[in-house]
Amino acid sequence: MGWIIKLDEGLGWLSKVCGWIACVAMILMAANVFYDVVARYAFNDVSIAMQEMEWHLYSVVFLLGIPYALRTDGHVRVDVFYTNWSNTRKAWVNLVGALIFVIPFAFLIGFYGYEFALDSYHMGESSGDPGGLPNRWIIKAVIPFTAVFIATAGLNMATYAIRVLAGDRSYETEHSGGGLA
Amino acid sequence: MIGMIMFAAALVMLMLGFPVAFTFGGVALFFGVFAQGMDLFAFMPYRIMSVMQNTVLMAVPLFIFMGVVLQRTKLAEQLLTSMGRLFGGLPGGLAISTILVGALLAASTGVVGASVVAMGLISLPVMLAHKYDKRLSTGTICASGTLGQIVPPSIILIILGDVLGLPVGDLFKAAVWPGVVLIGLYIVYILVLTRLKPETAPPMPEDPTRSRKQEIVAALIAIIPPLALIVVVLGSIFTGIATPTESSALGGVGAVVLAIIYRQFSFKMVWEAAKDTVSVTAMVFAILIGATAFSMVFSYTGGDYLLEEWLTMLPGEHWGFIILAMLVILILGFFIDFVEISFIIVPILAPVAESLGINMLWFAILVAMNLQTSFLTPPFGFSLFYLKGVAPPEVRTVDIYRGIIPFIAIQILVLALIVVFPEWFGMSATY
Amino acid sequence: AQETFTLRLAETWGPNFPIFGDTTKRFKETVEKMSDGRIRIRIDSANKHKAPLGVFDMVKAGQYDMGHSASYYWKGKVPETLFFTSMPFGMNAIEQYAWFYYGGGMELMEEVYEPHNLLSFPGGNTGVQMGGWFRKEIKSLDDLKGLKMRIPGFAGEVFAEVGVNPTNIAPGELYTALERNTIDAVEWVGPALDLRLGFQQIADYYYTGWHEPATELQFLVNKKVWEKLPADLQEIMRVAMRSSAYDMLIQSQHANAEAWANIKKDYPNVKIKKFPKEIFQAMYEANKKLLKEAAENSEMAAKIIESQRNYLQKSRAYTDISERAYLNTMAEVE
Ligand code: NA
Ligand code: NA
Repeated sequence: MGWIIKLDEGLGWLSKVCGWIACVAMILMAANVFYDVVARYAFNDVSIAMQEMEWHLYSVVFLLGIPYALRTDGHVRVDVFYTNWSNTRKAWVNLVGALIFVIPFAFLIGFYGYEFALDSYHMGESSGDPGGLPNRWIIKAVIPFTAVFIATAGLNMATYAIRVLAGDRSYETEHSGGGLA
Repeated sequence: MIGMIMFAAALVMLMLGFPVAFTFGGVALFFGVFAQGMDLFAFMPYRIMSVMQNTVLMAVPLFIFMGVVLQRTKLAEQLLTSMGRLFGGLPGGLAISTILVGALLAASTGVVGASVVAMGLISLPVMLAHKYDKRLSTGTICASGTLGQIVPPSIILIILGDVLGLPVGDLFKAAVWPGVVLIGLYIVYILVLTRLKPETAPPMPEDPTRSRKQEIVAALIAIIPPLALIVVVLGSIFTGIATPTESSALGGVGAVVLAIIYRQFSFKMVWEAAKDTVSVTAMVFAILIGATAFSMVFSYTGGDYLLEEWLTMLPGEHWGFIILAMLVILILGFFIDFVEISFIIVPILAPVAESLGINMLWFAILVAMNLQTSFLTPPFGFSLFYLKGVAPPEVRTVDIYRGIIPFIAIQILVLALIVVFPEWFGMSATY
Repeated sequence: AQETFTLRLAETWGPNFPIFGDTTKRFKETVEKMSDGRIRIRIDSANKHKAPLGVFDMVKAGQYDMGHSASYYWKGKVPETLFFTSMPFGMNAIEQYAWFYYGGGMELMEEVYEPHNLLSFPGGNTGVQMGGWFRKEIKSLDDLKGLKMRIPGFAGEVFAEVGVNPTNIAPGELYTALERNTIDAVEWVGPALDLRLGFQQIADYYYTGWHEPATELQFLVNKKVWEKLPADLQEIMRVAMRSSAYDMLIQSQHANAEAWANIKKDYPNVKIKKFPKEIFQAMYEANKKLLKEAAENSEMAAKIIESQRNYLQKSRAYTDISERAYLNTMAEVE
């Protein structure tokens, strides 16, 4: 059991790092878009590279946010029955779901996403627009990169469920899903 | 046929309470690998990439950020409660304020995920704190957050313009009246409901230390800053300073500036707001990615051909065609998303409509109105999921499902009005 | 029974996209009839594969057997693919087809696509594309300085050289952006397709084209798939691609003529303009400079540019005394 706890906490830490990167990207993106508007309107200055940077940052926000939201239980559930279930039952749903849904899904995206990014790297792909960003493979590589972390977050979901089954944790304490409003 | 079985399977699996996004993705994976093999999923990186490059969707994180900052700095609460106070002893004032704010947001974006989530963050806590009925609150928010689809600028209208070959400007103009009528009827509904059941939306408590006049003045003053922010967002679009998407960044930065003015600013606040934004954004996009896997499997296993076949059996006579076409879109809207409908169904219906001498502009508005409803219909209405994602745990999915029903009824009513009395909306049914 | 083949074709366009989409449909019909059903074509539009600009990769990787797109979209991946669509101040449609089929163009295209396990064939021509919709009249080079214009690709680079600010706007927001002066000008295709986006409602100045005098789409075929086809079916494919491409050129002419007549009738505000000579001269020089840079960066590019330049010179001399002379004569007598 000890190693499960260690693994659980280690995996949780990984997801939080993803969230941290996504938060930085979020703030940079807002600043980036704001800057582009001001530059265009006030100084009549347009940079395609800066415009492309917007969607690069936005992609990082939502992609790396996914493993983070898995750890914080931020992904929406249909709770018609779920809320009334016992911790044990919830743990089984999450354990099985993580193993048969999250991890295989992440695996397929990671596997094909890797080829997708690698091909771009081999071709030296860049933006086709005047003054656009080079090295398109970097942003494409965020797809398999994210998939790896979705898989670890899925594994994390499983380790957490095991801790709940062992009576070491419960979903009430951790449940921050929908805790925003 | 696999596509149809997959819908049923997804429906059952969703009820188990596993996160919606991964239920879609997981079910799609099983059916996809079973029917076509693993290689079908080689399309997924392209589909994810197309979401990444869809810059219109950047409005989602940016508007959410604005909503979170307004919420954390209590400015949203101030806006809504002050507006509510303006309505004085009138019950339902907060709900009406919510609809009006939703209408303003709708005029600045056409991305439903952005406005539903922002409205959920801004007004759900306030309504709940003032003892509003959960169903009324969530129904109001989903419905007014979805207005962005019909109130221009609107993504549905742009897509329909493309599919039907109609100028976008004409569509935008034609959609204004239906949008206004819809907003008006939402408000009428709130007024009627609170007359019949005042306990669902209690009026704002009166402040005994102030006269009514003082109260109104205080409320007007309190409304100004957050309203100014909305005006900046809208104004930047109308004056062309920013595109609708970019305006959402002005909203986010503007909210931070307001926070500074009101001495609510701290780096910690911004960081926490960013964290909330990332989490909610990820929730929205994970659903989009799960759903794109789902629709990928649906169409690559022949689901789209099956739909096409069914549609060729629609009657070829004016009223029969219109009514059945609307029913088909409404029913499909329960299950598949509006982009798929626009691209798969509308091109099949369009030539038939044209051959019947139906005015395509009118037809497009009908379809748009109908597709807007698809965001709200349980079980797969995305607006409902999005709101659930930001609602406190005591708001159950069932509350949202039930709360939206009256608003769906209103939408169908408006749709029927446009069908029967197109001239009321400045259109004609035929050329 | 003879072996039958089902080829999956991914097109960059949406379903029922006029002209471009008609071309793939005609191709499909022709192939299926000519082969008596031994080849079936299944067309997937952009709404299905969701990767309008992923056609190259998907055909290369074998996820699709064929594609219908445009060569210059792959410029970011393989810079030399740029030259097989249309070049600023380059050949017109007839001249370019002559170059492809009799002037060595096909061989050069094969050389560029071969390393990527792809074959490329001409896939239909739009004819001269219009120079774009402008909200203000452009009278001098100064009017272009700082002008914000949606103009992608190589033409965007040429415009950038003369002071324009090429700007990215999501297609869904183009209309609103132009309407509200977020941008000042938009380049799209030609009357038939521009009409659908409604630019004539919000911009008065429609400039004649120079940057894409003969935009050629392309059929992409996965080479391994091609090699599996028996020789007779390969020939059927070849003929079907060539005839549907030709069909697209004349359909474009027809649809543009109709659309232009409608614009003239319904939108008397629209005025046709030509850039002043100083602008054309500046852009001509800018274009030469960019081509020179491209030639320095890649031997293959140098070879293509050289071939196109020589062919243009030779065939233009004849165009001058045939087409041009005829049009000039007509202009005089009418
Ligand atoms: Na809107
Ligand atoms: Na063009």
